Amino acid sequence: MEKYEKLEKVGEGTYGKVYKAKDKATGQLVALKKTRLEMDEEGIPPTALREISLLQMLSHSLYIVRLLCVEHIDKNGKPILYLVFEYLDTDLKKFIDSHRKGPNARALPTALIQSFLYQLCKGVAHCHSHGVLHRDLKPQNLLVDKEKGILKIADLGLGRAFTVPMKSYTHEIVTLWYRAPEVLLGSTHYSTAVDMWSVGCIFAEMVRRQALFPGDSEFQQLLHIFRLLGTPTDKQWPGVSSLRDWHVYPQWEPQNLASAVPALGPDGVDLLTKMLKFDPADRISAKAALEHPYFDSLDKSQF
Amino acid sequence: MEFDLQNPLTGFEEYHFDSVSALFANESDHMPSFLDFKSTDVRFSLRRHSVFLISQVQSSYKFDGYIAYLAVNYIDRFLSKQAVLENKPWIVRILVIVSLSLAAKMRNVDLSLSDIQRDEGLNFDAQSIHRMESLILDTLKWRLRSITPFSFLHFFNSFFKLGDSCLTQSLKQRASDIIFSTQYEIKLFEYKPSIIAASALLCAAEELIPLQFSSCLAAISESQYSNKEELMNALAVMREMLIEGRDYCSMLTPKSVLECEHTSSQCETHTNQDMDTIKKQRLSDLRDDDQTFQISQVQWC
Repeated sequence: MEKYEKLEKVGEGTYGKVYKAKDKATGQLVALKKTRLEMDEEGIPPTALREISLLQMLSHSLYIVRLLCVEHIDKNGKPILYLVFEYLDTDLKKFIDSHRKGPNARALPTALIQSFLYQLCKGVAHCHSHGVLHRDLKPQNLLVDKEKGILKIADLGLGRAFTVPMKSYTHEIVTLWYRAPEVLLGSTHYSTAVDMWSVGCIFAEMVRRQALFPGDSEFQQLLHIFRLLGTPTDKQWPGVSSLRDWHVYPQWEPQNLASAVPALGPDGVDLLTKMLKFDPADRISAKAALEHPYFDSLDKSQF
Repeated sequence: MEFDLQNPLTGFEEYHFDSVSALFANESDHMPSFLDFKSTDVRFSLRRHSVFLISQVQSSYKFDGYIAYLAVNYIDRFLSKQAVLENKPWIVRILVIVSLSLAAKMRNVDLSLSDIQRDEGLNFDAQSIHRMESLILDTLKWRLRSITPFSFLHFFNSFFKLGDSCLTQSLKQRASDIIFSTQYEIKLFEYKPSIIAASALLCAAEELIPLQFSSCLAAISESQYSNKEELMNALAVMREMLIEGRDYCSMLTPKSVLECEHTSSQCETHTNQDMDTIKKQRLSDLRDDDQTFQISQVQWC
């Protein structure tokens, strides 16, 4: 690890500390993600091998934070893994926050929302075409280069190797705000649609500058969703009432989604509606989203 | 979730055609590059001894053929990037033990280090094994999801439009067998995994459905995914390999990596009689799907 000069701790991610560091030889800024490994006499755990090799494979996309290398060191007999990622100066959560409060509070430019959403869908489509679900898409996991207007997906794949804990490293409760209803209801068959739900929530949040469904428990999270989109029925989502964690909920009628995102035009509302379909089978795919009329006014040649 | 060589990227069970372009884009990352080496390079004999040892371990433990294939891929990529100057039996052993262990972990098969080492007479302590594991992982940049010819079989097979699932399966099976044996043929090293897969399927088609061979060849060579010239060259090498493999084993071709020799001086003194004493052994192995395949092996007496 002498290759890198640690500059500052930039965060305590779900899986461990994250440092901003500089590659001494090239001057390149990197993010060092420190992960402890539970080694036994068989060496590196199989799950870590499989996940990191998957990250390596996915890291070819422009819209995925690039894994530059993996450094494996032994500190007083305890194996530590540093995942070395490219460094981006901020994340979408901080970016939205800076537009919500403080001296620069103002709406995010419409064209920027469109461009960020397009890049997000590109990255998600890339993961899905490789058969990989992210499962934990949220603004904190989307890194942003403010100057260049670039957005990249981070914290990918780690969901399975290092099993998503209920409490993160810093004992901060893992956020439920972007979790798809089928996951909240205990469905065991996840599909790519779980990520598209999160994309929808993130899209709305960029427009609103606040979370669309800010629940603080699984139950509350569902109530937030049902209050806006209506309580789902077996007719619109076949099989919903047989899901493991289904209960009897208050019967709400669907509200007009446009009223939750007043700054968004009709094409945007249409795309958001398709991302927030209850039935995972009806939800728009990342690939199809890229073709949606909402992006017609975007100059796609730059991507 | 285990790593499936036929479907290396996807975490889903079903095959995704979307991922094909990713396979083509990434395949070169997983190729050994022995081409620049002189044939006297010690790494060739290290490789030869490693492959031989792997086949021995495999015949004792009957683990799935993909584990052995993957381990050899790791060893090839390791050797093509590491300057190893000595061919010492312990280097071969630790390389084989760790590569097999990594391949088994990727395949999600329980193959403990003590199992692998048990019969090999040479035990390494945990620390040495871990150090070797780190060294291999660093050298391979943790890219253990090797894109191999197996990854392209399904894709190219779909070009044939045979409409007979039984026949499609047989072709794939025969092509898989051919791919397993190509790992021993040094002349095929320069070809990308996709080209090897396409050639193996064509060889299989030539054997099983000779009348349809030319239409199969046309279908593959006209696709945007294969360079016709490369494909024809690889196909020629593979045909030659298979013909030689039929009357003797392919490893005995003069340029083969598995040349029958311990040192070059011994090789010069080989007579026909010496060759007769070489036992040709066929190893049958059971794979997950209960279908057998054979790899011809040479054993020194």
